[in-house]
Amino acid sequence: MATVGIIANPASGKDIRRLVSYGTVFDNQEKVNIVRRIILGLSAVGVARILYMPDYYGIVPQALDGLKQEDKVSLEVERADIELTADQQDSLNAAIFMRESGVGCIVTLGGDGTNRMVAKGCGNIPLLPVSTGTNNVFPGMIEGTVAGMAAGVVALGIADGPPAVMPSKKLVIYKNGQPVDIALIDAVTLRDRFVGARAIWETERLLQAVVTRGEPHNIGIASVVGNIEPVIPESDEGMALEFGGEGRSVLSPIAPGLIVKVGVKGHKKIMIGDEVRIIRKPCIIALDGEREVEVKEDEEACIKLTFDGPRVVDVRGVLHERVKKWAGERSEG
Amino acid sequence: MKTMTYVEALRDGMRFEMNKDPNVYLAGEDVGIFGGCFGQTAGLYQEFGPERVIDTPITETAIIGHAVGAAASGLRPIVEIMFIDFTGVCMDEILNQATKMRYMFGGKAKVPMVIRTPCGAGVGAAAQHSQSLEAFFTHIPGIKVVMPSVAADARGLMIAAIRDDNPVMYIEHKGLLGVEGEVPEGDVVVPLGKADIKKEGSDVTIVAWSAMVGKAMNAAASLEKEGISAEVLDPRTLKPLDIDSILSSVAKTGKLVIVHEANKTGGFGGEIAALVADQGFDYLNAPIKRVTAPDSPVPFSPVLEKAYVPGEEKIIAAVKELFA
Amino acid sequence: MEVTKETLLGFYETMVTIRTFEEKAMELFAAGYIPGFVHLYIGEEAVATGVCANLTERDFITSTHRGHGHLIAKGGKIDLMMAELMGKVTGYCKGKGGSMHIADVDLGILGANGIVGAGQPIAAGAAFACKYKKQDNVCVCFFGDGASNRGTFHEALNLASIFKLPVIYVCENNLYGISNCQRDHMNVSDISDRAASYGIPGVSVDGNDVMAVYEAAAEAVKRARKGEGPSMIECKTWRHRGHFEGDPGIYKNAKEQEAWIKKDPIIKLEKKLVEYEYAAEDELNAIKDAAKERIEAAVEFAKNSPDPEPEDVLRDVYAD
Ligand SMILES: Cc1ncc(C[n+]2csc(CCOP(=O)(O)OP(=O)(O)O)c2C)c(N)n1
Ligand SMILES: [Mg+2]
Repeated sequence: MATVGIIANPASGKDIRRLVSYGTVFDNQEKVNIVRRIILGLSAVGVARILYMPDYYGIVPQALDGLKQEDKVSLEVERADIELTADQQDSLNAAIFMRESGVGCIVTLGGDGTNRMVAKGCGNIPLLPVSTGTNNVFPGMIEGTVAGMAAGVVALGIADGPPAVMPSKKLVIYKNGQPVDIALIDAVTLRDRFVGARAIWETERLLQAVVTRGEPHNIGIASVVGNIEPVIPESDEGMALEFGGEGRSVLSPIAPGLIVKVGVKGHKKIMIGDEVRIIRKPCIIALDGEREVEVKEDEEACIKLTFDGPRVVDVRGVLHERVKKWAGERSEG
Repeated sequence: MKTMTYVEALRDGMRFEMNKDPNVYLAGEDVGIFGGCFGQTAGLYQEFGPERVIDTPITETAIIGHAVGAAASGLRPIVEIMFIDFTGVCMDEILNQATKMRYMFGGKAKVPMVIRTPCGAGVGAAAQHSQSLEAFFTHIPGIKVVMPSVAADARGLMIAAIRDDNPVMYIEHKGLLGVEGEVPEGDVVVPLGKADIKKEGSDVTIVAWSAMVGKAMNAAASLEKEGISAEVLDPRTLKPLDIDSILSSVAKTGKLVIVHEANKTGGFGGEIAALVADQGFDYLNAPIKRVTAPDSPVPFSPVLEKAYVPGEEKIIAAVKELFA
Repeated sequence: MEVTKETLLGFYETMVTIRTFEEKAMELFAAGYIPGFVHLYIGEEAVATGVCANLTERDFITSTHRGHGHLIAKGGKIDLMMAELMGKVTGYCKGKGGSMHIADVDLGILGANGIVGAGQPIAAGAAFACKYKKQDNVCVCFFGDGASNRGTFHEALNLASIFKLPVIYVCENNLYGISNCQRDHMNVSDISDRAASYGIPGVSVDGNDVMAVYEAAAEAVKRARKGEGPSMIECKTWRHRGHFEGDPGIYKNAKEQEAWIKKDPIIKLEKKLVEYEYAAEDELNAIKDAAKERIEAAVEFAKNSPDPEPEDVLRDVYAD
């Protein structure tokens, strides 16, 4: 039975960037609304079952509850059986649960941070990321209705592989030789000791960065790369940066409304399989915009670029593929 | 007859009416699984379910306001305000809505609702959780005010309050909740506006309500030993007030002492004194005395709180003054 | 944000002092030394600590029924607090107020409050006074998730916003208002979302991470001091005890409770301090012992203090 997972992170879009810059205010009522549109999209293409991540707010149950009488769907809806922790661990646990129960596609609502957690647990299941975070590179702004349809088409096995489902790059963070975490877009080291309020907004604390991609239209640290020498998502390369006042100064939008000159001492293209050593310690590594990993003076840390990130659904590609198949069926029949 | 505590009795009154009338429901903060701050609603959630025993957010304005709307539209809400002190934050809904609607609409609306709320000092809860505010409400035309002192009245007055077609302020005293008494079972109503002589006597009338009734009874017992026969009269309902019963008692004794826990100035004791002075002046052979709390907020420290709440000694002293 | 070892150890000391004070209050309540209601702050220490670290004596706070932690973090004197809890004449309020009404106006502490949601407009008023006098001091309003359902919250935020007041609304979202779970009392999961309706920036942070709270509060206070107006910080946290002492908390899910106890803010900070070699375990124990000693001394002071005199009832009703 074609099943689609829904992971809607109730906590995305609330961080300190709303205070220090002009981060998007994304309230959960809108997430509920988007989930409604996704569910109707799934139902329209014939998906039989939804498995969702539970949360304190009850985004998915509220979405179902609020559907108009004439829109009530007959899909089977099941709650992923995980223990709630009310933090980002929930997204990871839900992704693992969904992978193990064999869903055909996972739709995420959140930002880069949410998708990073899901990517840690989803294995080979294609992800369809819908942006609801503060400033994102990984998920696109996409209408929920068509996102639901596309996820359904993937789950039903109608489309798979490029250009419908694309591979992605990722960064693996190693500490003392052990992989400890991953990032989908960027890993940035900061002259900080604590995770604190998580986000990055003080450029004077930037030390090094490694990115899987970076284009001038991105927001966040990826935009710095984009403004020096763009790296596209499909290429098999990444970039390593070293920050510092002595080098060139790159005007970049590093947070919503926060366009600042970032000093870059050096940059270097890296290839899949390359490892970048963390030289300035102690530091904190921010993964996809959130301070996560603490590296002490005496710890060895490095960041490796790989191409085994999550498989990502391209809504445009999927729906074109579907139309093509229909056309084929019509001409055959 | 059955032995019950005051709190069990008032709960049993609610239960009785909820079983009888499907339009009666209960709403308030933590009245559900928590069973109320002092256990007043314990078990009702399990018995009647979440549709009729409703936990609300901390939103007194909307608790009372919604009850006004629901009552005007055919339901009979019982709403709880966790402490009478919090009526301060929903006073408009009482003062300008619940109590005025019928009159302003030319008698065309009915607002049958009960506001249940605990009053009283004695538990160290300080100035914002200990007040006796009945006089606020007796001053508002359009609402009835009920203050039971014993378990049987707690049940009977509850049933009457729910059946009444007007807003009723049902004020339960925190210090009485655990006090046991004999309570009649079944459809037994204590009518609103009917006083009760809790002890007969011939020398002096002590009018007291709520927790002060017990203290007046103890004072009367002590006075009895000293040869003074005191009659203890509990109005039970302050509005409407059974002034006739008070007058006939005073006609018999010639002396009146009024006891209430609320502070003196503007207290309901002043109203009773004025009525008796007006309608029963000839019965009196001594000045009317009031025993009340001083004109201060309720203090926290047990020493101060004890000095604040009128006690037996003060009642005895006031009575003796009339015989000096 | 630069945070030194000294700052962190300061946080630790404050949090441990609050915890020790509360544990003592719990014990004294059970033993009958403290009358009335006692609402303990155990589990939420990082919030008051992280926020108040950004304030000076000239700044104001409004507190709540769960206020001991706010007072201690703002510099309140524990001996006067303890004496007040026991209703002694030497207490902060001369025994008139008790746990729910402790205040230290000289330190800008405009009082704990027995009325949920009462502090919200009062805080706007204190901030109004700061602005009116053209000073750069600010006011912080602490309030709970439950309190954000009161009309006062909405009216105060709107007023603060249009008057552009130097006030920071700090929501201590411990997910419950007495027995009422947040998902049952509001259809919003992040209370910071509510700020947006009033044109105020709102953020949510991990309220059990003192660094996260500190950082967010630092930005909000900076904003307020610069005249950029109010902000709101929602701190997600958990109360370890019942609503008040005596409440067994049966309405809470045991697994939830267990998961949150694991996120204890003091243990979290302790781990960091040890990991970074900012303090060895015995140094942390020394801080704890010192806190215990100070609190024992406060208890002695309180126990040996006289009760008020009955005639004090009528004192301080009016200013002369
Ligand atoms: C106006 C008002 N209504 C109700 C109460 C009773 N009460 C005291 S604390 C409380 C719960 C408050 O919840 P929250 O604001 O979340 O704070 P917490 O106790 O969780 O710290 C309630 C309902 C009150 N004191 N004031
Ligand atoms: Mg709360």
